[in-house]
Amino acid sequence: MIMTTAKPTAQITFLSDLTPPSFERTWLTAPHPTLPLVATCSSDKTVRVYSLTKFELLSTISGGHKRSVRTCAWKPYVQGESVLATGSFDATVGIWRRWDGYNRTEESTESWEWNSETPGNNRLINQEEDDEEWRFAVLLDGHDSEVKSVSWSPSGMLLATCARDKSIWLWEDLNDGDNNFETVAVMQEHEGDVKCVAWHPVEECLASASYDDTIRLWREEIDDWGQVSCIRGHAGTVWYVDWEGVANEPSTTAVTGDYTALFAEWKNQHVLSGPRLVSCSDDRTVRIWRRQPKEQQSQSVFGGTGIPSIIRPIGTDEAWEEEKVLPQMHTLPIYAVAWSKRTGLLASVGADGRIVVYEEIFITAPRQNLDAGSPVDMSPLPYTEWVVIAVLDGAHGIYEINHVTWAKRTDRDRKEKEEEVLITTADDGSVKVWAIAR
Amino acid sequence: MASEMQNSNPTILNAADLPTRLRPTSSNKLGLFGKGLFAPTLLAAEGTGLPFTDSYSSADSDSDGDLLEEPIDEQEIYDLVSTISDPEHPISLGALAVVSLPDISIRPTLPNVPASPLRTVTVLITPTITHCSLATVIGLGVRVRLEQSLPPRFRMDVRIKEGTHSTANEVNKQLADKERVAAALENGTLMAVIAKMLETCQ
Repeated sequence: MIMTTAKPTAQITFLSDLTPPSFERTWLTAPHPTLPLVATCSSDKTVRVYSLTKFELLSTISGGHKRSVRTCAWKPYVQGESVLATGSFDATVGIWRRWDGYNRTEESTESWEWNSETPGNNRLINQEEDDEEWRFAVLLDGHDSEVKSVSWSPSGMLLATCARDKSIWLWEDLNDGDNNFETVAVMQEHEGDVKCVAWHPVEECLASASYDDTIRLWREEIDDWGQVSCIRGHAGTVWYVDWEGVANEPSTTAVTGDYTALFAEWKNQHVLSGPRLVSCSDDRTVRIWRRQPKEQQSQSVFGGTGIPSIIRPIGTDEAWEEEKVLPQMHTLPIYAVAWSKRTGLLASVGADGRIVVYEEIFITAPRQNLDAGSPVDMSPLPYTEWVVIAVLDGAHGIYEINHVTWAKRTDRDRKEKEEEVLITTADDGSVKVWAIAR
Repeated sequence: MASEMQNSNPTILNAADLPTRLRPTSSNKLGLFGKGLFAPTLLAAEGTGLPFTDSYSSADSDSDGDLLEEPIDEQEIYDLVSTISDPEHPISLGALAVVSLPDISIRPTLPNVPASPLRTVTVLITPTITHCSLATVIGLGVRVRLEQSLPPRFRMDVRIKEGTHSTANEVNKQLADKERVAAALENGTLMAVIAKMLETCQ
């Protein structure tokens, strides 16, 4: 009745390589928020922009960084233009701009609604000129050592950057047409390299992962950014954190009978806690973290509309608890984990070259009485379990996989409108696109 | 580098006592090397300095069907790292017993996946003195040497031997951190030190 075994029920099928690849290590691939594009960061000091429709290189952004480009992120909610932030081992963060026009030359079958009305789309661009089209806007200088991760806040107003110097910087994009950024805060509580920063999907709350084995959460309170939680639990460097989507729900395909009331209870608890966090570590585990709800925060700060909100919670300190350790499927450090905002599926990758996909399923479990002496209360309680639905060994041959992300599928063989692909980025410079077949 | 040595009088082993391969191998070729910073120069140096260079003398041997990769064993790993020089003495890590054959092991990286070609090379380092601050540099030198010499199906596990160093955990964490190692490879000052240590490798 309930599937709890690790028997894979889905398949990770290869769709395409992104070609031509980098000849050096690639670290991360970031899907564009609206266009069928991705940006891949490479040790060759460049960023390659590929089409997710044809899986081909569109342009190469070079000349801005003196060392490896480790990370990049697309700014959300920009009209008619794409804005990319890049972080490098040269300790700087670059901001790059380009008028949108890729889908002209792409002959895309998809029309991107807002795009047709924006001025950027009226420019006719020759393929040959594409490389010239990326305009270097500004270099953000402040970190003392290698920048490891960058992330835009849900509204696109704030850019968070972190480095080996143990600090997190917050920059405000003043949007004054002059590419001015203002330093809003420098947070230095971490005791080791800050490996990853990730913004809450709708609130101005930042999560960070570190070489000091902790995950920390940061919020602004009365014009002051500060740490609101320090989550301990991992026994090694935390390489990556990602947030759950706001409206995510576990799969109910495994439950039989009437579970409506229990499912409503689960959803209610979920709204009280807010989106959960997932993290992966050198300790070979993937863990899910949940915020303990506060009475004062009992109402949802977002209406499920997906529109970014800047409503601050009352009080600052947050208690986060470990909800689950996912089935241990990796033999070497896990470098990245991605929580799909569309399907709720999780994917993890790492040094062992394996891709693992997990699904959260809703089940009803008997209520366990904490007092061992008393009889077990058999009334069910809402409960979920994570099962491994697909595993792929040697996804990039013998090479380590540095990053995984979900993106909307846009190639011609797409079957459903909301179909997703997995994109993995590896040490040999290869970037591969995968479909999940259920 | 500090002008004062941390260990001015280290114990040095006699070269004749160091482990060597008893039977000559047909080739010391290690297959396709990585794309490390100094890979081309190291390759060139190795081509000229090898005691058994059959495969190099006959340039066509590759196309002759010599497709089988020479199995890589502990002695070969030892040969690769024992000739690295100590950063403060013109003496090899082998002669200083910083690396030794019994502290090198090769095992399948994914024991549950029998078909996987991945292998993990573990090299335990014994610093000459317990508080040696150069332990990280030595470890990095060993890791860089292996990364540049071994095919990419090898995973490096370079650690300080238990009980031989006061801050072993800290050093081990750094040496195991892929991102830090990658960044170190782009650091000119540090790589100059490493290149000097690797100069004596043949």
